[in-house]
Amino acid sequence: MKLRVLILSLASLLLVTLLAQLNHTLGPWQLHVWCGGLFVAFAALRLDFRTGAAAAFVGGLLLDAGAPVAFGTHALLFLAAHAVIFNVRARVPRDETIIGVIAALLANLGLFVALSFLRVDLGPDTGGAWMRNFADLLVSQLVLVLVAPWFFAVQTRLLQLGGTQLRDASRSGAL
Amino acid sequence: MPKRFDQNRPFLTLALVFAAWLVVPTAVKRVMRAGFFEMQAPVEVTASYIRDLQEFWALKTRSKDELIEAGRDLVHLSNYYEIRLQKDDDLRARLERLDKLLKLPAPEGYRAEPARVVRRDFSGWWQQLVIRKGSNYGITVGSPVIYAGGVVGRIREVHAYTSVVELISSPGVRIAACLEGDTRPISFQGGINPSLAPARGEVEYVPVDVFVTPAAPRRLVTSGLGGVFPGGLTIGTLVNVEPSTDGLFKSGGVQLDAALSALSEVTVLVPEETPAAN
Repeated sequence: MKLRVLILSLASLLLVTLLAQLNHTLGPWQLHVWCGGLFVAFAALRLDFRTGAAAAFVGGLLLDAGAPVAFGTHALLFLAAHAVIFNVRARVPRDETIIGVIAALLANLGLFVALSFLRVDLGPDTGGAWMRNFADLLVSQLVLVLVAPWFFAVQTRLLQLGGTQLRDASRSGAL
Repeated sequence: MPKRFDQNRPFLTLALVFAAWLVVPTAVKRVMRAGFFEMQAPVEVTASYIRDLQEFWALKTRSKDELIEAGRDLVHLSNYYEIRLQKDDDLRARLERLDKLLKLPAPEGYRAEPARVVRRDFSGWWQQLVIRKGSNYGITVGSPVIYAGGVVGRIREVHAYTSVVELISSPGVRIAACLEGDTRPISFQGGINPSLAPARGEVEYVPVDVFVTPAAPRRLVTSGLGGVFPGGLTIGTLVNVEPSTDGLFKSGGVQLDAALSALSEVTVLVPEETPAAN
């Protein structure tokens, strides 16, 4: 389990770095891409609960470290999203990439709105802040759809390199 | 085990982790945050060096004519600044003489520390920069950060080799300001960041005799009050004011410089310790 968490955490670190570079480039246009759903979806759909939850939590802590929010905010939100996806995964064909992308999109939407509610009251213009958040969400969802299949493939391949067969991992004791 | 309990187990685990996280001591969380940040810092710093290298090679493709032209412009600018420096020295000496005559305490000095921008992070939730200098260059938390166009923000976190700058456009940031040529303090708050447009801010407690329109804007500068920013630094341009609801003051909108969103180098003003403080 520890090796799988480490592998998924490394994948999360890669995603954090790439998104940071993208946001650096988008900065002059005042656009921001946030793909929190990607840190949760794959592990929640394809792995056992403990591994997925630990990986989501670590991914959240990676984002928390560089954000001006209480340390653990992202991590706990990711954990909540993971629990929700894990609970419904038995009812969907979770091995399909398209299901992963949809789960990531929905998780991203929920997490984005939750984080916006935590931050939106700080500025002087709440209505304007929601408009900005809506634009960011739109761009984020678009980027997520483009990136998700690649990122799932990276996670799958890294886990295979680490000696994990995904079908076994997801079946081996749900909790 | 009942099926219903089994289904709710992920949420039970979530509740347990949430409760456990609440009781984790703040010191432990602080150490963990620093650890996670420092773990990512080398990757980001390396990426910023690669960007600099890219820029270097892009500049190498410029023709000699362009370089000669740029050099000539630079000489003109250098001469202009040389004259300004001489005037500045003269004014400084005069100010010191007056301070001595009036026995005024010496103003706080600052050491200018230029730093490259590692990462821009401009969302609707927060606006921050990561710069390539930290405690290794004596940067301190709360130090003002400026650029050629005025105020950038202040240092929020200092790490070993990097620092995090909270921009004046970040929601929740408040600065004591005043209008150029007017010493009465007003309050500036950042946080209006529309997409595809420069950031804006808001001012409160503007005296009622101040009139500003988009056709006749006024420069908003730091007042020097509050102890963070030295006075006279440009914050933005006040473009409109209207009476506030209480009728005692006015409030208005501030346009921030578009260059604030595209900074690649800033200067940190590190407060110098005065002999009295030692």
